[in-house]
Amino acid sequence: MNLFEQLDAYLHDTLHVSLPAFGPELAICATILLMLVIRVLPGGNRFDSFYVALVGMGVALWWAAPWDAHTVARQEIFTGLLVYDPWTAYFRGFLATFALLFLIFCKISGIVDREDSPDFYTLVLGGLLGMCLMAASNHLLMVFLGVEMASVPSYVLAGIIKSRRDSSEAALKYAVYGAGTAGIMLYGISLLGGLLGSVHLPTMAHRLAELLMAAENSGGDLAQGELLVLALGGLMLAVGLAFKLSAVPFHFWCPDVFEGATAEVNAFLSVASKAAALALLVRVAFGMTSIPTPAVEVEPPVEVAGFFAVADEPVEGESPSDVSASTAEAETPPSLETLSPEEASSALAPARTYVAGLIALLAAITCTFGNLAAYGQTNIKRLLAYSTIAHAGYMMMPAAAAVVLIGRDPVNAQQAVASIATYVGIYLFMNLGAFAVIAFLRNTMGSEEIADYAGLVRKSPGVVVCFALILFSLVGLPPLAGFLAKFEAFAALANAEMWTLLAIGGLNTVISLFYYLRVVKVMAMSPEPDHRAPFRFSLVSVPGAYVVAMTLPLVVLILGWDTLQRLTLTAASRLLS
Amino acid sequence: MNPESVLPALLGLAWLLPLASFAIIVLLGRRLGKEGVLASYVATSAILSGFVLSAIAMLVWLGSAPAPEEHHEDESHASSTVDAPLVVRAQDAGEEHAAPVDAEHDDHAAEHGEEDHHAGHHAEPPRSYSGDWYLLGEFGDLRISIGYYVDALTVTMFCMVTFIATCIHFYAVGYMHDELHDVDDHEVTLEDGGHLHRRGRFHRFFQYLSLFCFSMLGIVIAGNIAMVFVFWELVGVCSYFLIGFYFERHSASCAANKAFIVNRVGDFGMIIGLMALWGSLGTFSFGDWTDSEGNQQAGIFSQVRPEENEYQLRTPDGMVRAAASEEVAQIVAETGDLEASETAIAEQIPEWRDGPEHYGYALLVIAGLGIFCGCVGKSAQFPLHVWLPDAMEGPTPVSALVHSATMVAAGVYLVGRFFPVFTPEVLLAIAYIGAITLFIAATIAIVATDIKRVLAYSTVSQLGYMMLALGIGGWVAGMFHLITHAFFKSLLFMGSGSVIHACHTNEMTKMGGLRHKMPWTAYTMLVGCLAIIGAGIPFVIGFSGYYSKDAIIEQALSFTNENPAHRILFLAAAGGAAITAFYMFRLWFMTFAGPPRDERVYEHAHESPKVMYLPLVVLSVFAIGVGWQLPGLPSLAGNTGLLEQARPAGTLANVEGGAWLPELTIPDEHLSHVKEIKIPATLIAFSTALGGVFFAAVFYGWRLLDPEDARRQFFPVHRFLLHKWWFDELYEIIFIRPAHVVARLAAGVDKNAFDRLIDGTATFVRGVSDQVDRSIDRPVVDGLANKLAQWTYSLGLGLRVAQTGSIRQYVMFIVVGTAALFLLVSFFWNPTWAGN
Amino acid sequence: MNLLTEPVGLTHYLVVGAVMFVTGAVCMATKRNALGVLMGIELVLNGANLNFVAFSSPYLRGSSVFLGLDGQLIALFVIVLAAAEAAVALAITLNFYNNHATVDVDEADRLKG
Repeated sequence: MNLFEQLDAYLHDTLHVSLPAFGPELAICATILLMLVIRVLPGGNRFDSFYVALVGMGVALWWAAPWDAHTVARQEIFTGLLVYDPWTAYFRGFLATFALLFLIFCKISGIVDREDSPDFYTLVLGGLLGMCLMAASNHLLMVFLGVEMASVPSYVLAGIIKSRRDSSEAALKYAVYGAGTAGIMLYGISLLGGLLGSVHLPTMAHRLAELLMAAENSGGDLAQGELLVLALGGLMLAVGLAFKLSAVPFHFWCPDVFEGATAEVNAFLSVASKAAALALLVRVAFGMTSIPTPAVEVEPPVEVAGFFAVADEPVEGESPSDVSASTAEAETPPSLETLSPEEASSALAPARTYVAGLIALLAAITCTFGNLAAYGQTNIKRLLAYSTIAHAGYMMMPAAAAVVLIGRDPVNAQQAVASIATYVGIYLFMNLGAFAVIAFLRNTMGSEEIADYAGLVRKSPGVVVCFALILFSLVGLPPLAGFLAKFEAFAALANAEMWTLLAIGGLNTVISLFYYLRVVKVMAMSPEPDHRAPFRFSLVSVPGAYVVAMTLPLVVLILGWDTLQRLTLTAASRLLS
Repeated sequence: MNPESVLPALLGLAWLLPLASFAIIVLLGRRLGKEGVLASYVATSAILSGFVLSAIAMLVWLGSAPAPEEHHEDESHASSTVDAPLVVRAQDAGEEHAAPVDAEHDDHAAEHGEEDHHAGHHAEPPRSYSGDWYLLGEFGDLRISIGYYVDALTVTMFCMVTFIATCIHFYAVGYMHDELHDVDDHEVTLEDGGHLHRRGRFHRFFQYLSLFCFSMLGIVIAGNIAMVFVFWELVGVCSYFLIGFYFERHSASCAANKAFIVNRVGDFGMIIGLMALWGSLGTFSFGDWTDSEGNQQAGIFSQVRPEENEYQLRTPDGMVRAAASEEVAQIVAETGDLEASETAIAEQIPEWRDGPEHYGYALLVIAGLGIFCGCVGKSAQFPLHVWLPDAMEGPTPVSALVHSATMVAAGVYLVGRFFPVFTPEVLLAIAYIGAITLFIAATIAIVATDIKRVLAYSTVSQLGYMMLALGIGGWVAGMFHLITHAFFKSLLFMGSGSVIHACHTNEMTKMGGLRHKMPWTAYTMLVGCLAIIGAGIPFVIGFSGYYSKDAIIEQALSFTNENPAHRILFLAAAGGAAITAFYMFRLWFMTFAGPPRDERVYEHAHESPKVMYLPLVVLSVFAIGVGWQLPGLPSLAGNTGLLEQARPAGTLANVEGGAWLPELTIPDEHLSHVKEIKIPATLIAFSTALGGVFFAAVFYGWRLLDPEDARRQFFPVHRFLLHKWWFDELYEIIFIRPAHVVARLAAGVDKNAFDRLIDGTATFVRGVSDQVDRSIDRPVVDGLANKLAQWTYSLGLGLRVAQTGSIRQYVMFIVVGTAALFLLVSFFWNPTWAGN
Repeated sequence: MNLLTEPVGLTHYLVVGAVMFVTGAVCMATKRNALGVLMGIELVLNGANLNFVAFSSPYLRGSSVFLGLDGQLIALFVIVLAAAEAAVALAITLNFYNNHATVDVDEADRLKG
């Protein structure tokens, strides 16, 4: 193991394997740098960095190809820290698309003026960078880093309107809460990693399989204690993820932050943040409870055992050498080589039960709480915050189903995961549309209270129609796209025979009808307040066109359902194989 | 350019254009221009386009005619006739034609000659194209479709109807201009004594006109008798609307009702005829058609005049079977097996048909009489003629279009179309009804003083002529008169409208000497009068009426020669001609000649605007020349004319009487053109017309005799005629009073018995449902749902409490939450140790 | 097993780490001063760091299941991240102070329900 040989190997890996697969993130980085630099240059102030951001995200979107995800095979990049597979490709594409739409949204609503735009867009893109990392993470360090990279800019974004009291309060709560849960998550990671001897997810899965098998074979308290600590570690890791997902009981930041922050930032948080969190959830859940059957190996030109040599493929390894501390890192214990993927998979069954049960429990509580607490809301943003919480619950349910199905029925597990991707995709339009309407109404009407929306149908019928469609889609009424999303999610539950969860999900859909329709009712049927200042918001305008553009896919998607299904199935295809 | 597909397309489009116009005007109505003035443009352009399309269709028809065979028709036909001079003449003609023709045609002629042993009965069915546009439904054997039957008659009628309708649309634009602003109707008195003041209804008029054109053309193009019936009714509806256009006037609304109800009486007979036809023949379609399996099915015409019988009328198999149902049942019972019984029945049919009982003949007669019944109503024949004079309440364009040229002609058209189905007995009945009608109407017209009434009775009388002509076998004569009558009668009506428009009165007793004030109207009406009396230079040239009337009188003479017992038909025709000439010129002299009878009316009279008298001029050109055979143009009634092309199969021969009147002979129409018949007939026609004009001139033109004297002299007769032979009063006593009595009784029963029962039931049900609502629905069902909602709501509100807003508590909840979850996990994880 | 009598091993490190973690958590949950809360966050993160470092040593953990350099590097990353997070949190606290004229977190209770 020559230093130079190692460097060569590393260089080769980085330049020819990892970086090409890291394109979109690099584009985002470059955009951020460009935005910051332009401001420093003379004359840069006159330049609206919106355009830079737009171009940059366009490049990122293009680079997030392959558009034909079938050719993408599971490939670990950056020595196993990240993984590039169709799931990554899908979420990168999703986040890039969201970014473009979001940037246009911000430009139209005028939340940021030209002076502050570099700051704003830097934060947004920074958050997106973190989210891309979250979606691609294969290593608990990346999990933590990704979560933090996505969260910290969000703290600032929540308080971006510096002059508003509520914004600053929201930012503070978000920051404190986020940091707290991040800390807990980190502690959980430390426990898990320490116990399993690795923080690389596939390796951890192997180790876990062994451990469980050993525990099963031997029985006894020692194993019990270890397993309990593992459970605790997993739980604490879940706390961090739950924070990102705004799952109950770690949702407390969500309503306050949503109410305090501006509608644009809310859109960012509720769509992109959630999507990345779900991607990460699937990564972690699947990473810990399943062994991917042999994937494409990236063979370094030299045999492994360099500075940072981590086993790409768990079965690969070499005998430990105690003396050289600078060498040999993750040694594969002898017993690892004896475990075949099938054996390992079946050994992980208890882990799957645990993970599935945990996710299912959280999902059930989340959606119920979210739906119920939304009943009494008077502020539209707060209402949508609880709606976001509830939808997070719905989105988590197929994850539980998927984990359950891994051992039993891999095809349907793939379908369950695909349903999450579908839900996320549809949720993009629903929430972005909803917050767009709220933002534009705030611009014209100056209020975010539901009561002030009374009788809006007489002033702006088109907008009310679009908003009503969005709300109906959020409820999940056919033939709008929201129904598709819920249907797929519940289908996954039915496949996994998780009837309780299905019943809870269905019941919650029913409960949720009330508060969405209350908004529609207020807008359409309540008499207009006398003291409302005259305003104008018609569909024939740029904001109106944007709203229509967000509503249209919800209506039309029922026709292209199978295209979306195929896309997401491909996205989920390499998670297990 | 396949005529089979092009002709239906052209005519179908011409048919539908007025419907489109109707739809547009119905929907947009008053919004078309100021007060709907553009509605007239829409309607007129629609019907004008219809005319253009019909003209194109005519050209297509003529252009696609198979030429050579006509010559041989004449030739073969010639060989059948007994009369020598005719043979010579026809043979000359045949030789003339044969000479320039090459050898092929000679062979062709030879073939034809050989085939023509039965030439007396031989006549090819007329060239026709029939088919379905749209199948509405098939219910077992009943096949209802929208179909067409296009032959020369259809094309000719289309051209005539659309042309006259176009002229009248232009005329109406001028005539109805009063309706473009608010109207004060002086003939309507309100309760407070004032006159009615209402908005103008210009667009409505054209809306109804368009609908009428659509319906009329529908009758003409119909390919099956059911479709005819539908449009028959529709035409009646349009007539109702149009007659009752000034519906606030009591007289107008009564007239509209009368027209519709009397028509319905006739339609009752028509339905019976329809049922007889369908029940026994199993189809409504005129022409042959292919069913869904590709088999060729015979239409009505083919069934009553099958080819194997040389297109002579023969009771169709279906009717024979239907009538001989007892025998059929017997055979079925004897043989038992279905197929064998079918063959046995088929063998028996000719025996049943021609045997002494003449099975099925009665059905055929009933079918014919039933259809004719409808025609009696529509064409205002005796005894259903009472509605037509009252129909003059409608505006004059309506009278011109609907009640002279087209709708009333629909009855005659149907008789002509349905001619193959009528047995000689039915035809005789038709002839007699026609003769009676023509006489009654002509006599009433002598004493009428309302200018439109005279023309109305004249119409009824002329329709009688047409029916008479058809009844005695003069198919071409009758249809020819239909077409010429359309032109000159609409001309006369429009002229009278012009006069009424100028004088603001209908009464001829207030007119006189108007030809100085309204020259265009006067002289075009003179043309019309000459045409209707059949004026002309005998044997040389004449107005259009000359040819058609002569044709009728010739056929009448020929018929009398064959059937001396029915001499009265000829006398009626000839006498009617005289009376017609009298009253028509009475009308003209009273209106346009002599000193004016009312100075004020004369002062105000003025010529109509161009848009009103130009159509008169156009129509008078046609009234003069439509009967001529001009070189290069198609003739109407000549040997190769359009109507001859449409002659039904098997009618070009002497028809021996049917089963019930075997002595009756209906002569071949072509025989009526021989010298022996033509010369006397022409002279009789000419002399009667001349006589009538002379008497009219004596009384009203030269005023040598005073009509007042004649009136006093023949006072009872005059009163009888003035009260229209007391028909209205008769019908009132026989039909209307009893109907009112029955209606009152029924109303009483309905109100006291039925209504009470139904209202009581309704009240009871309402009470029960109220009770259920109060005791079950509201407390239990609603209560449960509300309670659930209440719980959920309070639960939701309660959950809000958790969000305290304090960051410290949030962080506390993180820790507490984690701990709680961990406790849960540690509790429940052991049992699920084994996992899945 | 008396931790106080045994030679220093993995458990000791873990206990210290745990104590730091809990202290930090309590600090976050109870401090009224926003800066105090931030200090609590630092404690939590460093407690976890300690765990990482402990697990990374083959002597402490055991030669077969030690994290190795991964653990050390994670600790480094976390330190950096904690610093960044602290910076951001301080900026947010400053903004909060500008709006509320206090750093008392209990004053931040307008958004509730």
